Amino acid sequence: MNSAVDPTFNLASAVAAKPDAPQAPAKIKVENLNFYYGQNHALKNINFEIPEKRVTAMIGPSGCGKSTLLRVFNRMYDLYPGQRAEGMVGFDGVNIVGKELDATIVRTRIGMVFQKPTPFPMTIYDNIAFGVKLHERLNKAQMDERVEWCLRKAAIWDETKDRLHTSALGMSGGQQQRLCIARTIAVKPEVILLDEPTSALDPISTSKIEDLIDELKREFTIVIVTHNMQQAARCADITAFFYLGELIEVAPSDVIFTNPKEIKTRDYITGRFG
Amino acid sequence: MDATMDTRGGGQIEPITKAKATGAVSDPIFIALLWASGIFVLLLLGLIIAQLFMGGLPALQHFGLDFIWTANWNPVTENYGALVMIYGTLFSAVIAVVVALPLSFGIAFFLTEICPQAFKRPIGVAVQLLAAVPSIIYGMWGFFVIVPLMAAYVQPPLIETLGQVPILGLLFSGPPLGSGMLTAGLILAVMILPFITAMFVETLESVPPMLKESAYGVGGTTYEVYKNVSIPYGRTAMVGAIMLGLGRALGETMAVTFVIGNATRLSASLFAPGATIASTIANEFPEAPIGSLKLTSLLQLGFILFVISFIVLALSRALVRSRLD
Repeated sequence: MNSAVDPTFNLASAVAAKPDAPQAPAKIKVENLNFYYGQNHALKNINFEIPEKRVTAMIGPSGCGKSTLLRVFNRMYDLYPGQRAEGMVGFDGVNIVGKELDATIVRTRIGMVFQKPTPFPMTIYDNIAFGVKLHERLNKAQMDERVEWCLRKAAIWDETKDRLHTSALGMSGGQQQRLCIARTIAVKPEVILLDEPTSALDPISTSKIEDLIDELKREFTIVIVTHNMQQAARCADITAFFYLGELIEVAPSDVIFTNPKEIKTRDYITGRFG
Repeated sequence: MDATMDTRGGGQIEPITKAKATGAVSDPIFIALLWASGIFVLLLLGLIIAQLFMGGLPALQHFGLDFIWTANWNPVTENYGALVMIYGTLFSAVIAVVVALPLSFGIAFFLTEICPQAFKRPIGVAVQLLAAVPSIIYGMWGFFVIVPLMAAYVQPPLIETLGQVPILGLLFSGPPLGSGMLTAGLILAVMILPFITAMFVETLESVPPMLKESAYGVGGTTYEVYKNVSIPYGRTAMVGAIMLGLGRALGETMAVTFVIGNATRLSASLFAPGATIASTIANEFPEAPIGSLKLTSLLQLGFILFVISFIVLALSRALVRSRLD
């Protein structure tokens, strides 16, 4: 396990330690995607593929469009008038951008975890059950089973099993964030979007979440937006670098962090700007 | 040392023991005035309470605590009790809240989430203007518009249908006079609507967008997100808002006096004329000579209203505060 604060940490060796090559079919295929916040052209002609059951990281300076792209993937922009996407985001071959598909259905297949923990103001158990109840009719025993299943998956079962029926607001920040991941898993999505999931957490909680991401990619396709390049290097199989709304470079993480093709990418990962 | 002093000051520097601060005189006066303003409020409230209590004391001494639960108000026999008015006050206020609440929810949800930007201002301003309409206008509107409508179109069918059901029918019994508890409650509902709505809007806008998005993120629909996330998040503040609306409805005088019917009889029916504490005081004060038992009974009524309002306000403040902490 790599500590998040190790000052001697070496990007290259961490990447070299990744065994599995990112050879997998595309789960999400972005083609000629443009996105607008009113007049502001936030994403410019994006084309790339997100491989199935791999971790894909999106990095870049603030305002580069990486979070925007994440919000396109689960149609979160639909909630706000004036925001619109043009182009194609293929999910198993079906375009999820546009009005043909119901956004709530897209969101159950493509779940999202936010920058800050966002537990609902209810018990731990109900936090999990909330999403499940919206889509499935489960009896008490089945629901208990589902809650335990996803809490175990999110590596938080041992800490919560004795307090399932207490308020989720009483947990620590790191626990809350893992609860949010569990809540997302509970509706059995195929893709999990993580928007800077550790930016509000301490190093120990961060490394727990990173271990969790490693576990989860066996079953889920994961897309993570992060400002922490060591985190991208540690967790991601593929890394995409965005700058000013454009996709500059996408490559296997070991390539992008050791031998990037573009000068902008190299400048960013070596800390010359951003 | 001397050289630096000269260049800085340009003259003799006073010894620190003799120097005068710029605000030496004015600041204590200013602070004294602030103290006076603060104390003034306390004194004013204290005196009003004391005056009301002293004024009503003879009635309390004459009738004892029975005054509170005696359903009798008879100026001829000089026999007074507050029960009818307390009942009327609470009943009409509760009707008002029950009617205003769903409307406020609807308006607040619509304004915060659904409403297109272009409509937001007109609707928001319209709601606020409802609060600006003077209470006497509501009274006249209620008397000339709502009362005849109730008498002609609302009450007769209700009496014929629901009025025939056992037990529940008691609520819908009696002649269709138009005025009465229900009409008063409806007018009050319109009057407290803007206050409850404004506080609901504020509460809903304080729900973090990320929290709502995460609820949408697990596939929630607009209704499900409201029911399960927005409302629980703002629950205590919303209860506080309801209590504040209730508080306003309790003390409202003019509009109620116009439409409640002003009968000092106790009746379970929504259609029966009744009286509230405020309407009784407004109606009977001119006919109460100084020093009479009637006047002191009216003052005692006022004191009871004050206590009820105070309890409701204290509850609402406690609830709103518990949320903020």
